[in-house]
Amino acid sequence: MRCISALLLAASVLGSLLFASVAPSQAQGIPQNIPRKDLLILENPEGTVKNAGWFNIWVINASSQSNGLQQAALDTLWYIDPESGLDGVWDNSLAADKPQYNADFTEMTVKLRSGIFWSDGVEFTADDVVATVTTQIKYPAMRFSAVLASNVASVEAPDARTVVFKLKKPNSRFHTNFTVRWGAVWILPKHVFDKVEDPVKFDFNKPVSLGAYVLHSYDPDGKWYIWQLRDDWQRTTLARFGKPGPKYLAYVDPGPPEKRVIAQLNHELDVIHDIAPEGMFALAKQSKTTRAWFKGFPYGHPDPTLPAVIFNTQNENFKNPDVRWALALLIDIKAVAMAAYRGAATISAIGVPPTGTHPATYHAPMEDWLKAFEIDTGKRKIKPYDPTIGKQIADMLRPSMGEQIPTDPADVAKAFGRGWWKTDPQAAQELLEKAGFSKRGGAWFTPDGKPFSVRVMVEGDLRPVMTRAGTMIVQLWKQAGIDAKIDVAQGTLPTRRAAGDFDTFIGWSVETLGGHQDLSYFLDSWHSQFVAEPGKPQPLRNWQRWSNPALDKIIEQIRTVGFDDPKSIELGKDYVKLAVKEMPTIPLMAYNVFTAMDQTYWTGFPTAENPYTNPVPNWGNSRYMFVRLKPAN
Amino acid sequence: MSGYVGYVGRRLAQFLLVVFIGINIAYVVTHASPIDPVEQSISAVTSFGNTAPDAIEQMRKSLRELYGLSGTPVEQYLAFWKRILSADFGPSMSAFPTPVGTLIGRALPWTAGLLTVSTLVAWLLGNLLGGLAGYYRRSRSLKLMGVIAMGLHPIPYYILAMLLLIVFGFIWPVLPITGGATMNLPQSLTADYLGSVLQHAILPALSLILIGVGSWFLGMRSLVANVLAEDYVVYAELAGVKSSRILTSYVMRNALVPQVTGLAMSLGGIFNGAVITEKVFGYPGLGSLLVDAVYAGDYGLVLGVTTISILGVSVGVLAIDLLYPLLDPRVKVS
Repeated sequence: MRCISALLLAASVLGSLLFASVAPSQAQGIPQNIPRKDLLILENPEGTVKNAGWFNIWVINASSQSNGLQQAALDTLWYIDPESGLDGVWDNSLAADKPQYNADFTEMTVKLRSGIFWSDGVEFTADDVVATVTTQIKYPAMRFSAVLASNVASVEAPDARTVVFKLKKPNSRFHTNFTVRWGAVWILPKHVFDKVEDPVKFDFNKPVSLGAYVLHSYDPDGKWYIWQLRDDWQRTTLARFGKPGPKYLAYVDPGPPEKRVIAQLNHELDVIHDIAPEGMFALAKQSKTTRAWFKGFPYGHPDPTLPAVIFNTQNENFKNPDVRWALALLIDIKAVAMAAYRGAATISAIGVPPTGTHPATYHAPMEDWLKAFEIDTGKRKIKPYDPTIGKQIADMLRPSMGEQIPTDPADVAKAFGRGWWKTDPQAAQELLEKAGFSKRGGAWFTPDGKPFSVRVMVEGDLRPVMTRAGTMIVQLWKQAGIDAKIDVAQGTLPTRRAAGDFDTFIGWSVETLGGHQDLSYFLDSWHSQFVAEPGKPQPLRNWQRWSNPALDKIIEQIRTVGFDDPKSIELGKDYVKLAVKEMPTIPLMAYNVFTAMDQTYWTGFPTAENPYTNPVPNWGNSRYMFVRLKPAN
Repeated sequence: MSGYVGYVGRRLAQFLLVVFIGINIAYVVTHASPIDPVEQSISAVTSFGNTAPDAIEQMRKSLRELYGLSGTPVEQYLAFWKRILSADFGPSMSAFPTPVGTLIGRALPWTAGLLTVSTLVAWLLGNLLGGLAGYYRRSRSLKLMGVIAMGLHPIPYYILAMLLLIVFGFIWPVLPITGGATMNLPQSLTADYLGSVLQHAILPALSLILIGVGSWFLGMRSLVANVLAEDYVVYAELAGVKSSRILTSYVMRNALVPQVTGLAMSLGGIFNGAVITEKVFGYPGLGSLLVDAVYAGDYGLVLGVTTISILGVSVGVLAIDLLYPLLDPRVKVS
């Protein structure tokens, strides 16, 4: 027996020694042999990269994009910032100037910068741009093959600094394919790909870089990538804005949300891509060095993406705008904002995200039109817009969040949004009755006598914030007598969304450039020419399969005006008015991304007070952050 | 001996049948999945980019051809078996064109290393302590072990793992909480790298051992308690055989037989990976690979991992079936 006790004692002593032998400084998740003061550690939200040694981003879905590859190592003709930008929202990156179109938008000429070099010392020229296009058109398995093949009739380089695209049909927005808004068609190195037999099977490892950083090392198991500042960083386009602060960038998979919080509290993760609101609140409470986009509540950066209730307008029950409006008037947006984001949401009543330049271009100027907007319930006319709802959310949160909640009306509008639709069950009832629906025994029935059933598809724990919003909306509709059910699709959502296998879902069909007025980034895909027949797969982004002759007319007019033409703002407003009247989706709020930035080692992150770029680290645009970051000490 | 050869032949035939049926079921289940790999890929490619809708249909066609989804179901099924028989699972759809075998080959050593060690340690510790606790029922330290084992056993694995993570990763941050090795250390057979791998394996292994040891402990203690009532043990005690001999040769050896079966099943099952362990501790391995493949609708990769798993479990069961008659004379007689 003494022997057993001795064994147990020995085991516990051995265990303690094993733990004690690990010094805290070397135990945690920091790269070896790189001074921490030179290193910026960012989350790669793609998680663990399966195919870690693959850097050929031009092959469809082959591997990672946001492991630093598109943020640090690649470049293209232009960037557009979803915020204000370092020198305005538009940046001529590899291009020396804006795109030059001919009168009917069938030809685009691009002038290129000189003095830009690949990391292997070869100079970037127009031949690289031509090769980017022709190689991808030749191989259908390449990422941008389809989009280039459907647009480009020919591409030529009359000299080393000029590229001329001849297009198959007029396209006034062709340049946006080469304009980074998150990502774009990245330029490939012709001198490397020329030597490759089959570009689809080429791993591009080690990548030759056109950005300011080169690959330093990576984990073959896909957990981390480290990039090092090029010795000749002055020969890259980013150098126009100064020397990047961090000498090294590590893009890591920090694991589930709770581990991301621990890692940042341990100062081992400088930039968290996104966490649940609760994680952000915990960091704000426990860390003196964590900073989010907003200094206080609601913290998160509103992405130029607009989560909404998206109807399947090919479903008989949702063909009638009166029904869609009735469902909108049964929603209490304050309850949805609280359920989804614990109030940290930026609401929008119109089909444009309340972020970047859009509030100034669309939301504020359209406020009077919204206040005057009327709908006919069949029994009366009502003005459904309540301009005070953003303020009401702020007032609701002030007792618990105190001084974090702004009081200045402009700041309240920026943080929480402006107005939304009043909850009006009576008007909703009148609209449903106008549409031929009937209420019996507290439950609604469709015109053909069946129970009015609405499934609300969500992604479950893959997208918890949207799932919470959907669950609250189901509750609100159920309270009104509608047979509403939550429909958790998990990973099947993209398949079902494309197939039209849903009644409604919580997602987005509106994504914009954020920093620019032009809405064609998403709106062009809403033209009826792209709406699939029921049962056939729908191409992005008109998941609601909504077609309307008036909308087609607006889109066709936008196609004929230039990207920067002020007329596009007026046409954008026409779209907003039409979408409000027709309600093909019920816009809810911006997609707030809780990017948390630890200022222990680095300062100068972009914030709402200094919005020089998007802080969300998987965006290609986040490269502009590197030149503004300074060591904390 | 000829009887044993016949027994081996029957078991081998059974093994092949089980593997054939298992792989077919996996094939049917993966192909009945509502997730379309083409739509998943298109969604991944276009989620953040500006892709014109008219290009999508062209992309859809290209992907169908590329992923080998363009033939009839019978043609696809026959092509699948042709590949399986040549040990080729084809390219992964979610990491095209990398072969499934390469992805599995990269993840498997991590899973096999972590789970083999933790399964064996948990089995050895649990059975040793359980056997002792069943035999020396009056020992206070072993009674305490029993209480600890009973206390640990019902704790949900995720809770225990998170607890370890918070204690050793945040409150007393002495152990790495993520990855298989320290960042920026090249994978090589150096002391630095191997030491780092061991350090990173401590928390995931500890979580698996703490949960695993409890069940082996409780099972073994009950088995020993039953064996102690057997006539041959009572007779040995009456005959004055030394207690250490009774414990090892009479009690433990007989009580171990069902535990060995359990071990074989557990070792076979390691090829499923440990999804929660890998997710919580950010540890590389097959489990995460499988889950990601399911979400991406990557039939090839799902089938590759499940085929390896089916083979693992089946080989484990076959091995134990073949060894049983040699270990336990009662099985040989029956």
